Amino acid sequence: MNTQPHPHACHSPEHGVSRRAMLGTVGGAVGFGSLMQPAVAEAIKKTEKRVCLIWLDGGISQYESWHPLPNSKYAGPFRNIKTSIPGVHFSELVPETAKIAHKISVIRTMETKDPNHSSGVPRIQRGDPIDRGVTYPYLGSAVAKLLGPANPELPPYIWIKPGNGGFLAKEGGFLGAQYGTLALGDGKPPIHIHRPEGVSAEVDAARNALRQKANERFKAYRGASEIDAYETSYDMARQLMARKDIFDDSKLDPKDAERYGTHPLGRHVLRARQLLEAGVRFVKVNSYHWDTHGDNFNMSQRLIPQVDRPFAALVNDLEERGMLDNTLVIVMSEFGRTPIINSRLGRDHWPDCWSIALAGCGIKRGAVVGETTKDGAWVESEGYDIGHLFHTIFTLLGINPRKTRYRFKGQKLAIAHDDCEPIKEVMQ
Amino acid sequence: MNAPALNVTKTWVSRELTHDLQLFRAQFSPEGKHIAAAGVDKLVHVWETEGEQKKTFAGHKTWVSSLAFHPREKRLFTADYQGVIHCWNYTGGGKPLWTIPNADRDNVRALALTPDGKYLISAGDDTVIKVWQAANGKPVAKLEGHTECIFSLAVARDGRHFVSGDLLGSIRQWSTGAWKPVRELDAKILHTRLENFIADVGGVRSLAFSPDGKQLAAGGMKDAKSNAFCPGTPTVLIFDWANGKQKTELRIKGKSDGPFNALRYLDANTLAGHTEILHSGSELTFWKTHQPDPVHSVPNGSAYDLSLHPDGRQLLAASYVSGGASGNGAQKRHRENYPPNKTALKIFSLFEKPAEEKK
Repeated sequence: MNTQPHPHACHSPEHGVSRRAMLGTVGGAVGFGSLMQPAVAEAIKKTEKRVCLIWLDGGISQYESWHPLPNSKYAGPFRNIKTSIPGVHFSELVPETAKIAHKISVIRTMETKDPNHSSGVPRIQRGDPIDRGVTYPYLGSAVAKLLGPANPELPPYIWIKPGNGGFLAKEGGFLGAQYGTLALGDGKPPIHIHRPEGVSAEVDAARNALRQKANERFKAYRGASEIDAYETSYDMARQLMARKDIFDDSKLDPKDAERYGTHPLGRHVLRARQLLEAGVRFVKVNSYHWDTHGDNFNMSQRLIPQVDRPFAALVNDLEERGMLDNTLVIVMSEFGRTPIINSRLGRDHWPDCWSIALAGCGIKRGAVVGETTKDGAWVESEGYDIGHLFHTIFTLLGINPRKTRYRFKGQKLAIAHDDCEPIKEVMQ
Repeated sequence: MNAPALNVTKTWVSRELTHDLQLFRAQFSPEGKHIAAAGVDKLVHVWETEGEQKKTFAGHKTWVSSLAFHPREKRLFTADYQGVIHCWNYTGGGKPLWTIPNADRDNVRALALTPDGKYLISAGDDTVIKVWQAANGKPVAKLEGHTECIFSLAVARDGRHFVSGDLLGSIRQWSTGAWKPVRELDAKILHTRLENFIADVGGVRSLAFSPDGKQLAAGGMKDAKSNAFCPGTPTVLIFDWANGKQKTELRIKGKSDGPFNALRYLDANTLAGHTEILHSGSELTFWKTHQPDPVHSVPNGSAYDLSLHPDGRQLLAASYVSGGASGNGAQKRHRENYPPNKTALKIFSLFEKPAEEKK
């Protein structure tokens, strides 16, 4: 499995050394991170392109967030508020994002195809390419493959989620298990990240060498995939073991918790900032239970502020740290929610016309894109499928989606839907 | 003519008024000659019950969340999701008689009047109960104690006390006149926050005193399964008002999974409640309050309010009616015709259908 040469993926000095080779060099040298030259670390922080995908699983309502339309017959009860862009209004449930509207783009005419969660989540996160009989990687795995790690001492793709963590190989799709994601349950590092006090660095290195040797022998007789998954997860854990400083919350400004929020999504987006700062290429932050078929308005009142604060705080912090120009932040779900209010004061699934918010990494500042019908139910101008968004994301990351191809079992495979184009209205 | 005997098992729909958008609140006027209803269209609609006349009052800038009639005067109070209360002359027309612009930070979820008509009580998102002079909207008192949004209010028939119920299942009793806290009743079973939830679910969605003042009913749902669909087990708690202890937990026989948003006593021991539909169904339910199982239920679209006609034999429910286009997209087939859902203001007669009506 190879990709065709890609300038960003293959020419940077960090990528000249494979992750495996880097790990081999590191071996048992726990603490490599601390040996990295501060200037190099700073350069990684400011130049390497990174992505934070804030995924609101189930579907955030566009009417209660980025596209309120209070005079629509489908409007909810909440107020319209002014944003930092003259003439543009958001829902009162996103006051912090309203203040930074001039730093972000909103696309109000997402028009996707799948109204179901079970098929829609993977379909959206894989970019819904033309079906060529293969299982495409999720976006994070694709970026990990196409760009490699931003910081070779850290996993390229980390997923922060509620509940349990672990290594999830399946997101790698046909790229293979090694492009899966390391999931941090509740944003916490893998358990046993701390080397037991009774085990010296030398002993630990020897144990690791023995483990690697055993793996090599085992792999000689069996298929590599499961071993790859195991080794990758083990290596990622070891990488994080060397960078447990990332998880040292005592270093955080106490005001951060207030700015991001103490609820899980707030804490997890703050953790994402720490990981992005450390040089993780792609961080996905999941929040579940956004599928407000019932009691949408009471729930929106409580849920939507949970993404508003950390999203705005993250954009502001990345800008303050000089990272926003190289870090793409995306807030989205698998679809929006219906204009029609159902029998239970809920809104159902609506892929026909919905909104997403984006910031950084070449995203235009202060753009609100797309014309809908006056009631917000339907796309009036051009609708954008997820393929358009994947083209946009890859282009912003310096990957040419027209020229870059995956190679898998002799096939050249497009990295994004062949019939789509980047959404130029949101690109600088 | 004597009123027919109350017989909830023979309940039938004697009249329907339809509206092409969703209305959540509907009440009979105290003399029974009008029905006021309101919801998503920001308007207040007043129908004559014995005629075809209808008036519409414009003034709210968002959904109307609650309404209440003055017990003696031709006044109607309506409140909205942006904290505004209007007072209307519902037999007149035009503009509000007066307005309270900031009755709550956000949603005024409940309004109630004392039986003497002197005081209007409001409560909602900011957790503070406000008491106003019903004559002019001047503030009288602010009552603090709840820590989460207040869904429901009910005033005791003797007017000496009222209760308020919140999201966390706290019911608080307050004195009128002195406007002081008296005690707290435990309805926490109506609130759910599981470890994987990202929001509190449920709450005391409805409250009602029995006519003899001996019982308080609190409606909602227990055991919510998620904060997304918000399904749970519809539940009503009956409290002995004298000691504040729970006497009975009422349930339904059907499959509805939404809360009881509305409760009305029909006599000292007969209670009506209404649930919401989601996965299965919703119903107008009747109980004898000493026993958990209903004595009768009538399948009906979701309703959020119940009002008893002064004759005691007619029950009004603003009931959900599908517009035909609900459900998950992609619904391009509906692009040319994507109607919102509707309302039927159903008047349920609570007695056996007369022979001439059966024909």
